[in-house]
Amino acid sequence: MKRTFLLLLFLVSATVSTLAQSRSISGRVTKGSSADALVGATVTVKGTSNSTTTNNEGRYIINVSGTNPVLVFSFVGQATLEIPVGNKTTVDAAIQDETSTLNDVVVVGYSSVRRRDLTGSVSSVGAKQLRDIPLSNAAEALTGKLAGVQVTTTEGAPGADVIIRIRGGGSITQDNSPIYIVDGVQVENALSVISPQDIASVDVLKDASTTAIYGARGANGVVLITTKSGRPGRTIVSYNGAFGFRKIARKMDVLNPYEFVVWQYEKAQLTNDTSFNRIYGSTWDTLQNYKNTPSINWQDEVFGRQAPYQNHNVSVSGGNANTTFNFSVTSNKEEGIQIESGFDRKLVNFKLDHKASDRFRMGFTARYLDQVIRGAGTTNSGTRTTNRLRHSIQYRPFDIPTAPSVEEFDETYYQRSAGITNPVLITEAEYRRAFQKGINVSGYFTYNLLKNLAFRSTTGFDNTYARQDQFFSKITGTARSFGNLPTVSIADQNSITINNSNTLQYTLNNVAKHHDIDVLVGEETYETRSKSLSVETRYLPADISPAKALANINLGSPPAGTSQPAPRSGETPPNRIFSVFGRLNYSYDKKFLVSIATRADRSSKFKYENGLLIFPSGSAAYRFSQEKFMQGLDWISDAKIRVGFGTAGNNRIGDLLYLQLYGVNGEYPLNHTILPGFAPSALANENLKWERTTSNNVGLDLSFFKNRASLTIDMYKNVGNDLLLSVAIPPTTGYSSQLQNVGSTSNKGIEFQLNATPVQNKTFSWNSNFNISLNKNRVENLGGLLEQTRNSGWQGSDGLDDYLVRVGEPIGLMYGFVTDGIYTIDDFTYNATTAAYTLKPGIANANANVGVLRPGVLKFKDQATVDTNGDGKPDAPDGQITAADRVIIGNANPKFTGGWNNQFTYRNFDMSVFVNFVYGGDIYNANKIEWTDGTFPNLNLLGTMRNRWRNINDQGVLVTDPVELAKLNPNGGSTQYSPLAAQRFFLRDDAIEDGSFLRINNVTLGYTLPTTLSKRVKISSLRVYATVNNLATITKYSGYDPEVTARRSDPLTPGVDFGAYPRSRTWVFGLNVSF
Amino acid sequence: MKKLFFKIIVGASALSIILSLNGCKKYLDIQPVSQYSVQQAFGDVANATTSVLGAYDELQGQNGYGLYLGLYFPFDTDEAIQSGGLDNERRGIARYQLLLSNGALRAPFLALYRGLEKANLCIEQIPLMDAYSTGSEADQRDLKRLYGEALTLRAQYLFDLVKIWGDVPAPFTPAYKQADLYLPTLNRDTIYDHILNDLAIAKDLVPWRTEVPRNERITKGAVKALRARIALFCGGYSLRNESKKMERRSDYLTYHKIARDECADIMARRDQHTLDPSFEELWKTYVSGLKPDPYGEVIFEVAAGGGNSNSDGRQGVNDGPSTNAQSRVGQGLGAIQIVPSYFYAFDSVDTRRDVSITNYQINADSRKQARVFTQLTTGKYRRDWRNPLLPGTGLALSYNCVLIRFSDILLMFAEAENEINNGPSSAAIAAMEEVRKRAYKGNESKIGVTTGSKTGFFDAIVNERYLEFGNEHLRKYDLVRWNLLGTLLAPTTGTLRTKLRALSLDPNVPQYMYWRNTPGSDEIEWFGSFYKPSPATAPLPAFNATSAPYGWRQLNWREDLSRTTNVLNVGATNVHYMDAIGYFFTPNKSELYPFDQATLDSYQGKLKQNPNY
Repeated sequence: MKRTFLLLLFLVSATVSTLAQSRSISGRVTKGSSADALVGATVTVKGTSNSTTTNNEGRYIINVSGTNPVLVFSFVGQATLEIPVGNKTTVDAAIQDETSTLNDVVVVGYSSVRRRDLTGSVSSVGAKQLRDIPLSNAAEALTGKLAGVQVTTTEGAPGADVIIRIRGGGSITQDNSPIYIVDGVQVENALSVISPQDIASVDVLKDASTTAIYGARGANGVVLITTKSGRPGRTIVSYNGAFGFRKIARKMDVLNPYEFVVWQYEKAQLTNDTSFNRIYGSTWDTLQNYKNTPSINWQDEVFGRQAPYQNHNVSVSGGNANTTFNFSVTSNKEEGIQIESGFDRKLVNFKLDHKASDRFRMGFTARYLDQVIRGAGTTNSGTRTTNRLRHSIQYRPFDIPTAPSVEEFDETYYQRSAGITNPVLITEAEYRRAFQKGINVSGYFTYNLLKNLAFRSTTGFDNTYARQDQFFSKITGTARSFGNLPTVSIADQNSITINNSNTLQYTLNNVAKHHDIDVLVGEETYETRSKSLSVETRYLPADISPAKALANINLGSPPAGTSQPAPRSGETPPNRIFSVFGRLNYSYDKKFLVSIATRADRSSKFKYENGLLIFPSGSAAYRFSQEKFMQGLDWISDAKIRVGFGTAGNNRIGDLLYLQLYGVNGEYPLNHTILPGFAPSALANENLKWERTTSNNVGLDLSFFKNRASLTIDMYKNVGNDLLLSVAIPPTTGYSSQLQNVGSTSNKGIEFQLNATPVQNKTFSWNSNFNISLNKNRVENLGGLLEQTRNSGWQGSDGLDDYLVRVGEPIGLMYGFVTDGIYTIDDFTYNATTAAYTLKPGIANANANVGVLRPGVLKFKDQATVDTNGDGKPDAPDGQITAADRVIIGNANPKFTGGWNNQFTYRNFDMSVFVNFVYGGDIYNANKIEWTDGTFPNLNLLGTMRNRWRNINDQGVLVTDPVELAKLNPNGGSTQYSPLAAQRFFLRDDAIEDGSFLRINNVTLGYTLPTTLSKRVKISSLRVYATVNNLATITKYSGYDPEVTARRSDPLTPGVDFGAYPRSRTWVFGLNVSF
Repeated sequence: MKKLFFKIIVGASALSIILSLNGCKKYLDIQPVSQYSVQQAFGDVANATTSVLGAYDELQGQNGYGLYLGLYFPFDTDEAIQSGGLDNERRGIARYQLLLSNGALRAPFLALYRGLEKANLCIEQIPLMDAYSTGSEADQRDLKRLYGEALTLRAQYLFDLVKIWGDVPAPFTPAYKQADLYLPTLNRDTIYDHILNDLAIAKDLVPWRTEVPRNERITKGAVKALRARIALFCGGYSLRNESKKMERRSDYLTYHKIARDECADIMARRDQHTLDPSFEELWKTYVSGLKPDPYGEVIFEVAAGGGNSNSDGRQGVNDGPSTNAQSRVGQGLGAIQIVPSYFYAFDSVDTRRDVSITNYQINADSRKQARVFTQLTTGKYRRDWRNPLLPGTGLALSYNCVLIRFSDILLMFAEAENEINNGPSSAAIAAMEEVRKRAYKGNESKIGVTTGSKTGFFDAIVNERYLEFGNEHLRKYDLVRWNLLGTLLAPTTGTLRTKLRALSLDPNVPQYMYWRNTPGSDEIEWFGSFYKPSPATAPLPAFNATSAPYGWRQLNWREDLSRTTNVLNVGATNVHYMDAIGYFFTPNKSELYPFDQATLDSYQGKLKQNPNY
């Protein structure tokens, strides 16, 4: 059927012929008002495919025919200019800088279109907007710049994970990140391996009408990155350099030495602990002396440094009309604000395009990456004992004479505080280096088989090698488990991706003066595979250095009866996709635009019989600006309405899950030596198939005031079906879960993108981009279950699940207890003889949550959990605070997100101010729960605990008498509860905070030396600038930063702030020079 | 030109279609690289051995006998309890407050079924291997042994499941071959009959221990011993789902006969299995010295090694004395505490007392310190006996977990004989006395006279097993199969509480004990006797940290039991230690554990909960 259609199409096209008398026109193209030649500008005869490019002097010659030929001059970043030829033989053109984005070229998958002709939903950002942001990760630089694209940098560490979600993400348990296509080739995590300076543009395909052409990989959106090419003309050498520093953006207020000892004193009194005097060498009478004790701010010691930042980028680009090249070398070197942490990256990028003949073009790109991230950071996926930020908050804020000096490891203190370690020492003790090396090579050629028919073949090869070195010195918890001796480990991973696509594109313009037709058919193969190897050695010599240990991993010597863990290697089978696809674009009078595409994919991850899926899509647009009814509205220069529909897939699941397989997952010792054992990896599900996302999109593109302003509005509904869920099956099978295609979710939203150039004249220009997006996520089906709890896991093994996934609600619901003020004296009966407080009947007992019940400790709301009238619904509380009293108390999803970028130029000055914002969306401040808890002795608390309920009077005596206690705590007591002592952590609503923020993300001020001056020193342009990143954040959030998500091993627990690396502010001074 | 163009397009389309329909099938047909297909996993003897080791795996580790099955589930009884106030983990289990959300309840349930599934795969695949029927003699012998081991492992996993949960779903084929994953529960008698038959097959397939290199793999003695044990449980009492009462099957003597015969077979092979002449040597030299005992007294054990939570266990860390992480012996948690009456169940010359019970802790300076009466700890697995010592906080000491010892064979034989013959035969009496004499080594004359009456002999067996198998995770299950757990743990009137109250008032149990560190040593010495009233005056010099570091210190002995402040938290309230033991035990409920909530949920209502939960 499809073939018949194609055939018809070509028959139609074959009837078209263009035969007329022709003559030759020549001229010169210059840039704006200057006399600078524009090399490589395109000159086209309007309505034909007849075109040429300007040579090194900006000159061109073109043959024209027909009656009233019009020449169209265009150049990237410049406005398009149309000049009727008339009778002239020489036509010179001076083309201005572009203010409208309508003529921007947008890559839409295997080909590109002008934004004007887009029928789908695509957000784009160009090099200009990425230019000055002093970030090594281009993904981070996209934050807030694109409507419908939420970029979350998970913490402040160098090389921190950046989570990108396009329109919310449809999958529940599988990877929701988009795919990245760099110059036509898929590259994993491309934004973190490409220098922002090498990027020419980023186009994000958001709806399935555009992503369906990527079939099985398109469900979460597609990020298309075009790297900078050379331009014909003089060879330009440019240098972009920046120097600066980072500084911690915010610090937590903690108790000072005096407040610290008062709290320890109070805790000792409450728990009958007699060790206080011995440890602090003081009784209550002399405690005042601690007011003079010099305070040590551990946050300053660990995160306080002014961390240097530098970035150098040298590029050489140029070429002639036939061959262009761009070669660049980038070096980023930055220290993290935390001692022992940093980032060092070298990137080499080479791009060559060659036009061998009018018919044959080819190109080649090669990239090399070499990167090291230093430092273990503060967070990991383990429990609180394995996270490290707490040491900087909770370690004793002063030196005491009886203990080892603060420079040394204090074993006694470690024991007495349930594991606190000097934060400087622990940071030095946990050594980590993450190395990454990558080679990425890709090439393409296009051959014009016929005038309108082009064949293009693109092939890419990516080889990434990652290595992680870790060392744990003898004072770390890891070493404590293994005879108090250091442990070292090395983990290697090597991944290879091969991607080949071949397309045939047939273009016919102006058929019968009305019809533009563009047909693309293609085929693609994609393959990836990876190998890993890891070794770990324990029981190294006690004082070995990390370098020596890593260089001599064989130095470990296990005590008798223990053994070293076996080295592990793994290799995945190749993950292959084979696809065929086709797309038809049709436009009538540039007024009605239609695009229809279909892709058929087969993936090796599914049984052959289940592996084929067809991804259809279609979109249409109607440009109504030229219609009669719009005539009175001259201020609207262009208007277009779009509708789109499509289906895309997600196959990011493990390999061969449809086969019953054994892995070397077991082990059993014989004679105390471990032997490997085979064990089934999972219960096979031979019916596994793709996750499928169906999307509907309606969009409106409006341009105003001669395209000086443009507004794009998109509304969408995406439905994810057949989502892979790990479904609980009877564990009596030997497996507790099986992956099944049973889930369903939906995302609905609306996005606005406004671009404007309010002022543009010779001396002053103002360019403004604003975007805002709203997304509403909803779980539609969980495979029969109505809800499922999840655990963020920081609390430890007896922590209650603190997240909830429920049908009809969004993903990311926080599930915990509701606090209800504090227990007052009146809540108890007091027995004067035993000095004991007994809870009155009817008052909910929160013993399990708060430890010993007494006035001043946190009280919880006892939810209705008992069914007293037998209607099957709970209607009465049970008097006990138990796990059943948890309710939904937070939602991690923001109501809307967006950004506003303003760029100004005034004569030779330029300035940009970028703010981004997130509104709504709760943050689960687990740090706060941990740092206000009074379970373990000798730990510091957050400053908010200064105003806690008082248990000791001014004489240092523990008060139990209710009358005295009431006097000590007038008006029912302070609002701040007495620290809990339940030995367990759990989510409660006072840890749920509004994560809304408005961030002045970037402010840049630049000055460009006038050309007249710079030319004298043989410099074609020179600009100096200063920029501040993360200048200020307006938020109610009490933690380090509201842009955080620390518990990422489970995608269903977003928005936890626990142990995350604090964010920094960056000041940078930079220089752009071109020779 | 047009034709050429047309041809290219048609050609390209045709090529794509052909590729997509046929050519890509080969391209997309991929084979596992790191993983093994089921056929590969049973491709040869070596691979089949690795598969069977995988089936052994679930016995060990945190989810198996290394923690939950060995150190959480067997308590509280009159032998020992979990220390501390109520929680929703080990103490919840020990106090019989089995909330369906208790993670320590679910994890071993899953592990046992994983083990069952792996054993089922081995049992299905090994006989299908070519080498099994047509291979070399050596291959056939090895594969028969592996098949026998797999049958035995399946029996062990199902036995544990039935012992703890009663009637359970019992798949005998691998899951990928099951049409319906929602298996209903199977009557325990049917399960027992099935696995007793399996073991009858297995015992002829596996060799005696000396016929093969010595390691922890299952040998003929283990199969027979396990068959005897299962038979006694099959013929014993259990809480029935239908009647919700403790009942035993009417033909129980059939099973006593199986037990008697299997035990007799083993007892006839003293070259393979017999008692170590010294009770202490067995535990201190062999188990704690990480070497096999030369007598084969340990017939079946769960192997440990590697220091991790999968292939190693926490014996000697969770149980045994509390030892400080900074001491030279490393960290011991001392989480299992001896019930004081257990101490006095031993005769003063019974060598088993000071092996089974530790009355000290070890401080940071590596010195021992005496422990009060209600905080004595278990002793068979203790960190300070490890040879070599392993300092630090490591949670695994590589102590194998002993499942069946030869003394159990002797006592099972005696018990079965007594039932079958309606009174003890001379062989039965000899078997029991053999156990007692070893225990009273050096004082064999003091073992007393063994009674000849059926009930008297039964009571003696009950007591002897109590003394012999302290902290060998047998006591609770023995009490259930004898239907004695209810009378023991009943609130206020239970025999245990009566006994403890009497003990707290017994004038011959000293109110206080006096102890000191032996001068120049880290060891402890006692003043006076555990079996006489406290001395009228405290011995001198009294301890003083600076002037008399080796002076005598007073220790609460009976005082510790009787003091009213000795309370444990049991949720909303604190109750006296004596009442807190097994606080929530409910007869005709607590003898079986419930299915956890997640398991019930995953069954979507098709699994019936155990009685009274």
